[in-house]
Amino acid sequence: MEKIITKQGEVKRIPLYVQGLDDVMEGGVPEGNITMICGSAGTMKSSVCFNTMYNEASTKNKIGLYLTLEQSYPSLLNHVINMGYDLSKINVLLINDLSNINANISQLKNSNKGTIIFADLGCIRKEIKDAKIATTQNAGWLNVIKNLVKKVKTDLGLDMMVLDSLSALYVLSKFDNPRIELFYVFEFMREMQVTSFLISEMPLDGSRYSEYGVEDFLCDGIIHVRLSQFRRNVVREVSIVKMRATQVKTDIFSLEFKNGKFYALYGGQNPLL
Amino acid sequence: MNKITFAFKSMIGQRTGRLEEKWNYDAGSLLLSSPVVEDIDGDGRKEIIFGTKNGKLMSIDVDGTLKWTYSAEETHSEMELMFLDTENNNSISSSPNVADINNDGKKEIVFGTESGTIYVLDGKGKLLWKYKTEGPIRGTPFIQKFANNEYGILFGSSDKTLYFLNGKGQLLWKYNAKSEIESCPSIILSQKPMIVFGSNDGNVHAVDLKGVPLWQYKTKDKIIAQPVYDRLSKNTAPAIVIGSTDGTLYCIAENGNLIWSFETDGAICSKANVIDINKDEKKEIVFGSCDNSVYAIDMNGKKLWSYETDFWVVAMPIVADLDGDGKMEIVAGSYDHNIYVLDSEGSYVLDYVPGVSGIVAQTGQYGEAMTSGPGKTQGKKIWQYKTEGVVVGCAYLSSEKSLIVNTESGKINDLIHKKE
Repeated sequence: MEKIITKQGEVKRIPLYVQGLDDVMEGGVPEGNITMICGSAGTMKSSVCFNTMYNEASTKNKIGLYLTLEQSYPSLLNHVINMGYDLSKINVLLINDLSNINANISQLKNSNKGTIIFADLGCIRKEIKDAKIATTQNAGWLNVIKNLVKKVKTDLGLDMMVLDSLSALYVLSKFDNPRIELFYVFEFMREMQVTSFLISEMPLDGSRYSEYGVEDFLCDGIIHVRLSQFRRNVVREVSIVKMRATQVKTDIFSLEFKNGKFYALYGGQNPLL
Repeated sequence: MNKITFAFKSMIGQRTGRLEEKWNYDAGSLLLSSPVVEDIDGDGRKEIIFGTKNGKLMSIDVDGTLKWTYSAEETHSEMELMFLDTENNNSISSSPNVADINNDGKKEIVFGTESGTIYVLDGKGKLLWKYKTEGPIRGTPFIQKFANNEYGILFGSSDKTLYFLNGKGQLLWKYNAKSEIESCPSIILSQKPMIVFGSNDGNVHAVDLKGVPLWQYKTKDKIIAQPVYDRLSKNTAPAIVIGSTDGTLYCIAENGNLIWSFETDGAICSKANVIDINKDEKKEIVFGSCDNSVYAIDMNGKKLWSYETDFWVVAMPIVADLDGDGKMEIVAGSYDHNIYVLDSEGSYVLDYVPGVSGIVAQTGQYGEAMTSGPGKTQGKKIWQYKTEGVVVGCAYLSSEKSLIVNTESGKINDLIHKKE
């Protein structure tokens, strides 16, 4: 059950650790909200989400679950290490095997460091591709995600999760009635009271933020990252389309990553080059 | 003139008393379906049997004391568990069925679970056998005794298959319906015996007793209700009555042709009750709809009356003489948390008071006013009882003259009629 606040400013917030962007959204996304990070390929959606999770884990000892459905765990780790994130400051746990999950999670129970758990569902898929259960249960993969979230929440106290990506989820788990079934998926995340970031791959024409459109209404916030061409240069831009319980500035900012930090720069009329 | 006389009779025919709770029992889990009332252990007293959302089948006696519980929980490896909807995997979504399926002189209990398993227990809750399918079983298994004294168990699964087992749990045949089956099937023992059931693609299927398809009738939405096969009057051929979630009740002939249909504004989720409620030697059809109403219609599909509750009427209404006055009452549970006891004949309400002239002259509809009745029959509530949750089903315990009501919150109430 979502908590009802009694006065303005009482909402607890999770900063995105994007300098310049948090300031225009009252300090961050409301705790427990479901935010879609939408954009086409190469817009650093995954990096923005990881950046938030890493900073929360390393500075506030928070517990995060990063569910990667397509990009493999080594590829993701190589990417973030290369960006300069010091993973020695946090616990990093890989789940690429569902058979030993209880033991793997319980070893982190008494840790006093923040934790990021990477669940590599692509790897798990390969492991059990011949298992009957994976093919007979239509909603099986969605259940895997739900059960992982519940397990980490129960055993460690999950604070934040990233689902990378919604588009990959739709390939894994067939939705016969997306409007109804997605409602229950979002309700599940709300019941878990976990701050959630859902990565949505947008078509290049940017005609919609999500596959079915209903996600735009079900989520609490939408952050749009895009590539913008100016003469022969391409810059990344970010804007907040929607953020419930938050006064936001909906202007378009340039998104930059320098020296291990994200910046949202506001340059007035044109994008900064 | 007859209608006016009837109207005045109805106006003075006041029922007395109220519904009172005799006992209640907390199942400790959500309930999703109606209870079944049968003497399953041969002690001469009936038991109340029901399934719970957390996968328990329970038997309580008529005083509300637990006799036994069977847990239909299945063991899974750690990996398998991750793929399952652990909250619902063991749920018992539909009512059990009871019959002596192995001819041992004792009744057995047959029920299905969300995990796709059919269980058969003896009267003391001991597992006799089980049969696993590839999808959830959401309809009550149908049991039929044949002329050779052998029993057949028929049920549909969400793996799109209709299964036909013998009393020992051996598969006799299966039929691919090409769509999930949540409806409980029925066996029609007419000149040309057949099995009729609905599927989630909206089709009513008829197959013969060997699983060979005979005909299909397409409705506009999925069918989760059980069909009823009955002769609606002495002079008519038996017909199949089945509701669809498209909101329509269909009356279909044995050859698959539509005889009539009756439209409501909400999904029809349960079996209709076909019974002569007014002793006119013709059967009426009583059913609930998700347009919040209980309907009574005649054998030709014409509305006799309807009664509107405050929310969906999902469970099948039951017909019983609760107060022992020789007249049948209709009992309907609603998602508005109430049990409604309705007069089976409804109540005649006048459109205007006879003798007050002016209406005819003012409207100028002289001919119509004279040829049509001076009013119409409406559903008439006799008693109402507020329960603690959404009413998912009820059963009539004739030996105690009481109603057993299952609510989603997990409470089972035993209600009796109390004279003032």
